[in-house]
Amino acid sequence: MISTFFINPFSQEAKQIVKAKGDLNKIIEEDERLINIIEYTSGQRLDDDSKIPGSLWELSIKRIEWYLEKKGHRRYQPGYYRFLFNSQIAKFDVITFHILAQAIGAKFNPNSRESRIFIESEGEIVKERLLRVEHQVRDDIISKILNELLDSEKPHWIQLEKLLENRRIKLTELILKDGKAILDKSAPKRIQQIINSIRENIIPALIMQKTQEYLYKVNEMAAKIEPHPILVELANEIQKRISREFFIPKKTKPGTIKASKLDFDAFPPCIKNTIKGVKAGNRNDAIVLLLTSFISYARLYPAVFKERKPHKVSDFDPTLNITLNEILPLIYEAADNCEPPLFQDDPQEKLNITAKLGFGLHETPRLENEGESKWYTPMSCEKIKIHLPILCKPDNLCEKIQNPLTYYNRKRWQKRKEEGDRDIPRSNSRR
Amino acid sequence: MFQEATAEDRRKYYTMEWKIERIPDFIRESIHLREFGFDHTGQGPNDRYRFFRDEKFLTKFMKYRAPYAAYSSVALYDRPWKREGWRSSELVFDVDAKDIPVRQCKCDNVCEKCLDQAKEIVAMIIDTLEDDLGLREIHVIYSGRGYHIRVLDPIILKSDSEVRSQILKYVIGGDIPRFSYTDFEGRVRSLDHFMVPLGYPRVFTERSRYIILHLNGDEKIEDITRQTMNKILEYRDLIGADRWGEFRDIIGPRVYERLIKGIAKLNLQLVDARVTVDLKRILRLPSSLHSKVSMICTHVEDLESFDPLRDAVPDFVKEKS
Repeated sequence: MISTFFINPFSQEAKQIVKAKGDLNKIIEEDERLINIIEYTSGQRLDDDSKIPGSLWELSIKRIEWYLEKKGHRRYQPGYYRFLFNSQIAKFDVITFHILAQAIGAKFNPNSRESRIFIESEGEIVKERLLRVEHQVRDDIISKILNELLDSEKPHWIQLEKLLENRRIKLTELILKDGKAILDKSAPKRIQQIINSIRENIIPALIMQKTQEYLYKVNEMAAKIEPHPILVELANEIQKRISREFFIPKKTKPGTIKASKLDFDAFPPCIKNTIKGVKAGNRNDAIVLLLTSFISYARLYPAVFKERKPHKVSDFDPTLNITLNEILPLIYEAADNCEPPLFQDDPQEKLNITAKLGFGLHETPRLENEGESKWYTPMSCEKIKIHLPILCKPDNLCEKIQNPLTYYNRKRWQKRKEEGDRDIPRSNSRR
Repeated sequence: MFQEATAEDRRKYYTMEWKIERIPDFIRESIHLREFGFDHTGQGPNDRYRFFRDEKFLTKFMKYRAPYAAYSSVALYDRPWKREGWRSSELVFDVDAKDIPVRQCKCDNVCEKCLDQAKEIVAMIIDTLEDDLGLREIHVIYSGRGYHIRVLDPIILKSDSEVRSQILKYVIGGDIPRFSYTDFEGRVRSLDHFMVPLGYPRVFTERSRYIILHLNGDEKIEDITRQTMNKILEYRDLIGADRWGEFRDIIGPRVYERLIKGIAKLNLQLVDARVTVDLKRILRLPSSLHSKVSMICTHVEDLESFDPLRDAVPDFVKEKS
């Protein structure tokens, strides 16, 4: 039977292993036992030595690389990463997880792209490992992990509040009774399979949440105590590997949409209404939450919902020229059109706009602050209907889409088609 | 009934009938931590950021100004006069009788019938808040044209907008339940909402039943044609009898899928969602006069026996009639 710490790196057992064997001075040393386990992993490809990690340092990088390549699809060759799902590497793996968390937490802001990729990669690894747990022991393992993470298989739903806040799960995806989320065997037999599926889905979400909280703690500590140099070095290596994934070639392939300025005619009705000015009540959310993210993505990365890559503003606008000279003036102008003008009433909203672009709470975006917050993607039509119904005046095209940015891309595509441009891709290609 | 109050009516109400004791304890105990807002002209609450140190100051203001409408915040602040130092917010659901998506009365404003419907919806929401979410300390306020549900359970008071939005969708059935699992042979299977007799699928089934049984045929449901609507009306008794499977087979699985999607959207209109997700909302002050319809915004002690046309009518209206 596999150990729970192969899936839950926060278990007591996991902590003990890290305490006993997590000597940072030894992480670059080659470990024969690790290499041996990998070589004897069923289905593991062994034709390229560079793909086989020999030390904890290399295993750390492989963990991130696996996720980047899996998400990147084209290059992904699962045969090179089979060892990640061999439970025999559990002890090495759990140390690696903690090394990575310490390195990333110490060097990067918990909202940075590097942190998010690490959190997502952990969620994905846990999901895959759970899928591979043998049927006969699956229930037992899951029960043990749930008890480790929640102290109960019937937690009060408020214990899952952070998961709801971060949208890692939906309340409507749980089965609740008297305030408790049913995750045990007490449900009627007919729906037990559904409960099993909820149990399996909630574990990666819980571990991602715990990882995020862990990064916050490490980040706080790093402000007081200087991290070990090897952790800084590892963080730099991870950053390089991630940046390579997000490198945007200057020459685009034929057929992709060329970089262009914003096309105001293609804006959806809710955005046009926002730009005209919004009355107090809806004003702040319309400018800060809706317009800021819409304009920045429409100008810099309209393909975000197709590619789903956590890019930063500077990946597309390395000098922030476009952001400062095109995007922000447009948002500020719309803010001035509001009634009463947004910044007259709430000058601190300028800070919130900067934060929504991923540059933390500062008056203007600066490269050195990037990653202090998340670059918010445009809110969905469903959210607009709840938060800003006054702006939602749907036209025919709106009925077919679920996000204002998709509307923008679709409308531009339609316009080009009508103009007889044959060299246009159907999808939202990156500019 | 439901006539707009004159300035004289308001003066009479606030000097002779209104008493501070009519404000529920949960507000009176925290007057100094709440923002107050007033509408003096009928144009909306433009007089905001008001702060009262205690009941005496509020009483004096109400009697002297006899406002067109009075509001207090659902949030508690350290500095309510600036709306700064947020401490907590009640969880609120606003059921407005005139905005119910399946109104059977077809009146222009509000009437006894749609107020009754609003009460039914309130009762359903409270059941879910208690039975599923395990929430306590739930107060109901008759607002004048509908009801406010105000939840003061300590576990919810600090929750952010995202969590509130998720609770909202849960209690009104705003998401289509998607429950699937992988069987022993690795095939993904899913169960229809009406096959799961507990949790959110049950809530969704109940709300959908309410909507379908209250359709009058004039409602527009996305992707549902007039012909289909007629078929739904013809066979909806099956839903009343809990024979969902038969109903789905008759209207066809594809049409049923579209109907369910449309109903989830209609469900979202059962309450004003903006009120629930807004942490800094001001709500009508219980005990104050809703001057547009000359009704008293009233703290409801017992929802079942509460009759707004008996319990929320000010003396000046009774005298006139």
